[in-house]
Amino acid sequence: MMDDRFDDLLRDSAREYNDPPETPREELWQRIVASREGEKAAPKEKTEKLERLRVLPFRRLPAIRPLSWAAGIAAVLALGIGLGRMTVHQPATVATTAAAPASAAATRVSGVAYRVATTEHLSQSEAFLTLFRASVGKPGNERLASATARQLLATNRLLLDSPAASDARTKLLLQDLELVLAEIAQLSPEPRSRDLQLITDGMEQGGVLSRLRTAVPAGTSATQGAL
Amino acid sequence: MVSGGSPDATIWRPCVSEVRFSRTTYAPEPVEERELISRVLAGDPSAERALYDAHVDRVFRLAYRMAGDMDKAQDYTQETFIRAFSRLQTFRGDAALSTWLGSIAISVTLNGLRKVRRRNEREVGLDDFTPAGPTRQEADPDLKTRLNQAIDGLPEGYRAVFIMHDVEGYTHEEIGATLGVHPGTSKAQLFRARARLRETLADFAKD
Repeated sequence: MMDDRFDDLLRDSAREYNDPPETPREELWQRIVASREGEKAAPKEKTEKLERLRVLPFRRLPAIRPLSWAAGIAAVLALGIGLGRMTVHQPATVATTAAAPASAAATRVSGVAYRVATTEHLSQSEAFLTLFRASVGKPGNERLASATARQLLATNRLLLDSPAASDARTKLLLQDLELVLAEIAQLSPEPRSRDLQLITDGMEQGGVLSRLRTAVPAGTSATQGAL
Repeated sequence: MVSGGSPDATIWRPCVSEVRFSRTTYAPEPVEERELISRVLAGDPSAERALYDAHVDRVFRLAYRMAGDMDKAQDYTQETFIRAFSRLQTFRGDAALSTWLGSIAISVTLNGLRKVRRRNEREVGLDDFTPAGPTRQEADPDLKTRLNQAIDGLPEGYRAVFIMHDVEGYTHEEIGATLGVHPGTSKAQLFRARARLRETLADFAKD
């Protein structure tokens, strides 16, 4: 009986829970139309560009938007240098993280080794995410970005499972970084602008890039060599 | 609101808590609905707008009730319609279009809220911030405030069913079709949600 009365009271009061305002119909419709047009336009624009390139005589190709070609080449070069630097350092990182718990004597120095490995990894990740953010909206680097993210993700997971993650702050940073890297690693070769936007939004909202920059001591940033 | 029963329970049904539109002017009839869908699929922009106009309030209301935030509710409503228009050719017509739209809306909203919650949890962890929930509860004895907090604290499934049934007036059949569960499951979840709320608000229940 009391339960019934309470249920009635509950229902009456609950109707005011998150009481919605008037639907902003027009505003929402405009947003939907704009978003759908944006999605339609992106692949169409790409096809048109390809078609234009296909029908143009070969000798005219270098004349097409020289600046955008130069910017594209520079971006690919920068990513390539960054990737090269990462792969040169990576075996040392992996070897360090894997070999550390091997002996008791090594345990004493492993703390320093893990810190060095973590700093190296965070520095590489910072360089990569900086390049990635800068290249959003310039299609063509998705495959490379995805491959690089996968490599960094592997190191990130090793570090998360190692004593390097015993520090709560570092662990949280590595966990957040894992999420961002996983999203980039899963990027399709032709991502929608909204997917890219979601990744960069995630980076912004979690403050991943700024936290990486805070975590990496000055002078160790991989961007210094890459850019 | 009595669940099920009425022959038109599977087509459009305005919420009982705040009826702003009469069924006759607002409810698309099944035949009209099929025709509308065909026109949308044929690329008729006015049909797209008509379909949007017929369903946007229901979608927005649900998104807002779940999210409790204007920006999020708008984002989820927008995403719902974008998905619906892009997948309309997969709509087989087994259920009413409103139910199909509702299932997209609830999926978009729950996913969006999960994402927000994950981010908030990480940020709270990083700043070592203690949530003010229980303290606020103790400080504010007002039933509505306590009830809002209690609903916020319900497990995701219970909360969705409670909002859809007790707040927005959906039937268990509609909830079942929208959430992809048996109506009996919806009833059970509502029962548990109410029990949980009764438990949380025990001091009010005694009074």
